[in-house]
Amino acid sequence: MDKIHFFGAAIGLGMIVIGAALGIGKFAAAAAESIARQPSAADKITGAVNLPLFLLEGVAILAEVFVLLIVLLK
Amino acid sequence: MTTMFVQEMVQERAAEGHAGGFDAGEVIIHHVANSSLEDPLIRLPTLLGIDFSVTKHVFMLWLVAAIVFIVVTWAVRRYLKQDRLIPSGFMNGLEAVVEFVRDQIVQPNVGQKWVSTWAPLVLTLFVFILGANAIGLIPIFDVIGLLDHYVLHTAEDSFVKHLLRGGTTATANFNVTAALATITFGAIIVAGSKAHGFVTHWKNIVPHGLHPLIYVLLIPIEVMGMFVRPFALTMRLAANMTGGHIAILAILSFVFLFAELAGRAVAGIGVGMLVSVPLAVGISGLEIIIVLVQAYVFTLLTAVFIGMAIHVHH
Repeated sequence: MDKIHFFGAAIGLGMIVIGAALGIGKFAAAAAESIARQPSAADKITGAVNLPLFLLEGVAILAEVFVLLIVLLK
Repeated sequence: MTTMFVQEMVQERAAEGHAGGFDAGEVIIHHVANSSLEDPLIRLPTLLGIDFSVTKHVFMLWLVAAIVFIVVTWAVRRYLKQDRLIPSGFMNGLEAVVEFVRDQIVQPNVGQKWVSTWAPLVLTLFVFILGANAIGLIPIFDVIGLLDHYVLHTAEDSFVKHLLRGGTTATANFNVTAALATITFGAIIVAGSKAHGFVTHWKNIVPHGLHPLIYVLLIPIEVMGMFVRPFALTMRLAANMTGGHIAILAILSFVFLFAELAGRAVAGIGVGMLVSVPLAVGISGLEIIIVLVQAYVFTLLTAVFIGMAIHVHH
């Protein structure tokens, strides 16, 4: 029972991946749809998508770091 | 029942690691982290309680800075000495990078008036972070280690032996990225002060004209936000760089784990050829993309935060 933090870390990591994948997936879908609606604005849309995409990815990476901390520091 | 079995296996594995078998965790951490503070490359004195000895990541910082500085200034000086300013070869690429950063990253966020003030800082950050990330991907020190092991046989305490301890990615160390984020933090304050005046910059952090009680809640949140953004920059860059290396090393350590599990080296080599090396090559390709993207993201966010301090949107 003293190794239960591994279990918690693994579940946490799975949830992080689900959350990040859902968020980024929705984003990509919205971007693709809006480019399909107006192909001439493709550059602007790509530019606008970049920033929130990496912020979301940053959140996921931050959370993974904390999970790693749980595993390494007990 | 199952938990007890798993517990037994984990304890067995841990004991194995301690008994001189292959401890994957320790090897991986050793390959990614900085060299030990007690055992630095160059021992320097301790000033004001801060030990200034040169560890491996400090050495990599200097190396990357020297390489970037020499390459860029040499290319630009050679280009400027020409009669007609037509860039060619490396200078062409450098000019494309500079134009990309200035026109796509700095100018949309900061506005035409402040581009020449902030473009140098943003460009420096971009080129330095790109250089530090990329040089971390090149296993030159491992090659030097091979050379040392088979050819040179330097002493146990030599500079060359010290070069083999620890990882080469300077930006994988969160202290390095924290320093870069501190530069961003300072730049935000300087940008706001230059654009609006020192006191007005601090007043601009919260929107004007709200009910006084809301300010009690809003000011701590905004101040916290001011600190959280550079912290996120720090952790994003450091974690991305460390994570990539850990992934590659973990996959390559399958070779050794399987060799130990099966008791013979052929098993390890087989697994290596079929699974580990192709997967590691794939992840290294992903690493190259991540290197570029993380440099771009750090620079983009710096430009965005500077722009937010200059054009207050509320």
